[in-house]
Amino acid sequence: MAQNAKPVVHVFLQLDAKSSVIEKTLRQQLPELNVTVFGRLRDFEERLTAAHPDAVLSIGPILQQHGQTATLQGYRGGKSVEPYVLAAVNQPLTGPLAGKTIGVVELLGREGTQAFVSGLLKEPSLKIKRVAKIEDLLSLLEFSAADGIVLPSSMLGMLLERTRLVIKTRELPGALVGLPAVAVLNPAAREIVVRSFQQLDAPTKHLLGIDSWRAP
Amino acid sequence: MTSRRAPTRTMSVPLGALLALLAGCATTGNESGAGTPAVAQIVDPPARSGAPTVLIAMPSSPIFLEVRKSLVSEVQKTFSIHTFVVGPETTVADLASTIKAVAPACLVLMNNATTNLYRQYQAANPAAVMPPAVVLMTAFAEEVQARLRRATGIAYEVPGVTAFVNLRSVIRAPIGRVGVVYRPAFRKFVERETALAAKEHVELVSVSVPNDVTAAELRDALHDLAQKSHVDAVWMLNDNALVRGPEFVDDAWRLELSEAKLPLIVGVPNLVDPISPLATLAVVPDHEALGFQAANLLFELSENDWKVERFPLELPLSVRTVVDLKLVRANFGLRPDALKHIDKALE
Repeated sequence: MAQNAKPVVHVFLQLDAKSSVIEKTLRQQLPELNVTVFGRLRDFEERLTAAHPDAVLSIGPILQQHGQTATLQGYRGGKSVEPYVLAAVNQPLTGPLAGKTIGVVELLGREGTQAFVSGLLKEPSLKIKRVAKIEDLLSLLEFSAADGIVLPSSMLGMLLERTRLVIKTRELPGALVGLPAVAVLNPAAREIVVRSFQQLDAPTKHLLGIDSWRAP
Repeated sequence: MTSRRAPTRTMSVPLGALLALLAGCATTGNESGAGTPAVAQIVDPPARSGAPTVLIAMPSSPIFLEVRKSLVSEVQKTFSIHTFVVGPETTVADLASTIKAVAPACLVLMNNATTNLYRQYQAANPAAVMPPAVVLMTAFAEEVQARLRRATGIAYEVPGVTAFVNLRSVIRAPIGRVGVVYRPAFRKFVERETALAAKEHVELVSVSVPNDVTAAELRDALHDLAQKSHVDAVWMLNDNALVRGPEFVDDAWRLELSEAKLPLIVGVPNLVDPISPLATLAVVPDHEALGFQAANLLFELSENDWKVERFPLELPLSVRTVVDLKLVRANFGLRPDALKHIDKALE
């Protein structure tokens, strides 16, 4: 971070809003930071390597994959994690899942996402269909291109609002994934980044899927 | 059929640009991508020793490059990439010599001109074992696929159901019946779309018009959809013959729809223009996501020993939306939170 320059923050989150909307909101809410929101993992990863941001906002598994530690952890309802669910059309996807085709939003690259979903479903023999955006999961179900989809429980409402398909879910015991967290990569930017995120208003925190921040 | 009244000229949408866009989209017309300038030279990533090669045959115009960029960024750690630019001057012999030199594990063929070349290559080599092919950005991909040996791919036309669900997420007015006018070449496509739309409880009300449909005939068909079939919206197919020029669009689409006050869904963004209102929503392929989807298809083929026969044509999963907010607010009501889900809102 150059002297007098705003700390650069890169954001990669799959939320119920276009990344352009999230970026506009965060830029308004975080005037002391230079925020870029990425809609695609590849872009996020490329810029992470090339641009060396001062901080990153993403979910736990993504931060961990890049060896980053949360400086500020997002919480919702007093919890720092949220359950993921398995959704299917007409009836829940019960029974053994081996060989089933499961849709998921791209989060961790091809192998990382395969391992992530296999871990959530406790089944290594899955066929994973990665999609670019959360709303694309609905297309998978409409086109019968997947037996089921895995998504955060908080995204289920958005899906149900959009579709007339009868969506049934199966809870996944132990499938808890970290909520958005901020990892400060440049210690010199720590104070301003932490202060800025802690001052976010409630609607913006709601947009990010959290209601408070805490130091882990 | 007869026209009911004299048309009024209000067209200001740049139809030249629209037709160029349609040329790049899935239509029955020219799919060469002509009309968009060729860009910088394509550079393939360094070949990976021992990795199977994917040969990408494509035009060099920007929309194809966007798909290639996304595709290559996904697969370059697994496959070697060789890109073969196809232009109007490219011959079957050029393609054949490239295939011979590269010996690809799989081909990616972008647009109809490229798939036609490959079809001619297959016809000229009837006994040869063909590498599998993935067809992208091609009009009537299902029909094209059926005429090729060992081919699968991703359809380019955005499914109507995707467009209807997006319209529902933007406007308050109910969407239960959607009208569509089609020419005979689109019959099978419309049949498939009817079944898909039914999954989302949308009844697709279709009206066939002749190949050489006049503006008056098209206007009458639209009038019947609005007044007799009581559709809630109209879906315009990406068919050059239904959008022949500014006067045709004025005389048929604009005249009827401005009177009926029905939302019009289109497949090209140029027809969404608050200054000269016509379409309410454009739903277009997300080219970056299309490249990502194609990459996933390549991985799946590779994991299945390139047994392409097991892979039916896929539908495009991801789209981008352009909305005339002025039109929505004035006529159909904007849903709360709609702005969060629109890629481009115009007013």
